[in-house]
Amino acid sequence: MRDDTPAGRPVLEVIDPGLLLAVQDGGRPGLSSQGVTRGGAADSRSLAVANSLLGNAPDAAALEATLIGPTFRALATVTVAVAGAMAGRVDRTGERVAPGTSVTLAAGQELVLEPTGDGARGYLAVPGGIDVPIVLGSRSTALGAGFGGFEGRALRQGDRIAAIGVPGTGQGTRAFIQPHAHWPGDAVPARVTATAPLRVLPGPHAKGLGPDALASLVAQTWTMSSASDRVGIRLDGATLRASATGGLASHGVVTGSVQVPPDGRPIVLLVDHQPTGGYPVVAVVITADLGRLGQLAPGAPVRFQEVTPDDAREALVRSDTAFASSLALLREGVGWDELWHGAGA
Amino acid sequence: MNGPRIVAFGDAAVLVELEQRGVVADARRARRLAAAIDGLRTRDPRLGVPVAAAASVLVPFEPRATDAAAVGALLAPLLDSDDGPDDGAAAGTERVIAVRYGGDDGPDLDAVAMECGLSVDRVIELHAATAYEVLFAGFAPGFAYLGELPAAIRVPRLATPRTRVPAGSVAIAGSMTAIYPQASPGGWRLIGRTDARLFDPAATPPALLRPGDRVRFVPA
Repeated sequence: MRDDTPAGRPVLEVIDPGLLLAVQDGGRPGLSSQGVTRGGAADSRSLAVANSLLGNAPDAAALEATLIGPTFRALATVTVAVAGAMAGRVDRTGERVAPGTSVTLAAGQELVLEPTGDGARGYLAVPGGIDVPIVLGSRSTALGAGFGGFEGRALRQGDRIAAIGVPGTGQGTRAFIQPHAHWPGDAVPARVTATAPLRVLPGPHAKGLGPDALASLVAQTWTMSSASDRVGIRLDGATLRASATGGLASHGVVTGSVQVPPDGRPIVLLVDHQPTGGYPVVAVVITADLGRLGQLAPGAPVRFQEVTPDDAREALVRSDTAFASSLALLREGVGWDELWHGAGA
Repeated sequence: MNGPRIVAFGDAAVLVELEQRGVVADARRARRLAAAIDGLRTRDPRLGVPVAAAASVLVPFEPRATDAAAVGALLAPLLDSDDGPDDGAAAGTERVIAVRYGGDDGPDLDAVAMECGLSVDRVIELHAATAYEVLFAGFAPGFAYLGELPAAIRVPRLATPRTRVPAGSVAIAGSMTAIYPQASPGGWRLIGRTDARLFDPAATPPALLRPGDRVRFVPA
């Protein structure tokens, strides 16, 4: 652990944090015996896209913005990258910054992030990652317990964000910072959030809940309740038909667990879920779809599709391959425009 | 007799469910099994840190490197030792927690005493006379499930949880007791409060009470 004074240089000031703006990285795995949840970015693939555009490690600390876009002012010349379900707009020039691209801001320029309508969360990366103290192995903000991230809390107007890398020069960061890099390929996750069902495997208690439980989960279109947060996504719809929903002895749970509380209204656990839970788990969202789960917005229709373990493995391989080949193209400096025009579109 | 059961928990974890025999014994067996799996993990990076709970161990794994069936086969030999004798006293640290019982600090104490048909003093005496063990962690950072509560003072949770329980609240529900480390929503019955700091992210380790520790409460 290090002292609380960021060594990096302030690069951005928060003019308006939007609804919820917080520092997130890959989270804190393996601390359940301390009651500490993994946390981290709700859409880790979009976090990786934003970071990769600047040559950061995929899980470096970035800002996660939720539902309402934040506004920043550059305190120095700095290249930043945007990903997920928000797009940027630079004041004065009016330049648009699509998700999956980086932009260089001059000192004093403002960047506004706005929802694209594809999902709930946007990510903004800075060179080298955001400089906040590492607490219990991570720079993520544990919002419920109030530690980690920026003073253990969401960002407010006037907060100054420091970068670990030296902005603008590439020094202190890896070599391939490009002032206007585009994520090449179609692997930007927010593009596919809207309508595809979330793929699930039967949960550990699916049999105990009776044959109707999983069937009625996948049969209907649910609506994401506004009473949802990073802990869990609550679903509105007809109640789940389950033969037994009594409390179980507390057991460990994972992100993507579809819990069935006694009222029959399912809860899908998100990244800030408690390490253990006592409700039966009827289904579990596959790893390849967790980023899309993290992008669901209140009011969104939510559908589930049962798949096999082989399907789950294949989906993960396909998602990883698409990401890796896009990353390779980015490193070779092949931009989106080039691919786009090369494809004759 | 049913032995332990391994079930897939999505594409990146399996759950080992133990046969339930009693809350303290089950949690000890779960911790012992988790420790054995953790030993395996140091030689096999495909496995994540196991999560021991009331009567089960969740074992995360890297879905790009293995699958539930292979992890199940890997764990099976460890389960044979599950039927070994309960090795009794936990090896953890002993902690003493000073509690202010009742009043504004324990708003449910009077109702608990009524429900149990006991005097308030008797409820306090029973709660404080018992040596508890930290069974497992989970609800929040630093939250420890302690057991086993004396049978005479067992009450159900609130039907409607409170939206805000103050930090340091000492609570009971069913066969367990616990302390809320931070202000949070909660459905357990509040009988007192402590000034002890249950979770400090700057401390090593951050949680004051860890699985296997022994805890006694003393009236402040």
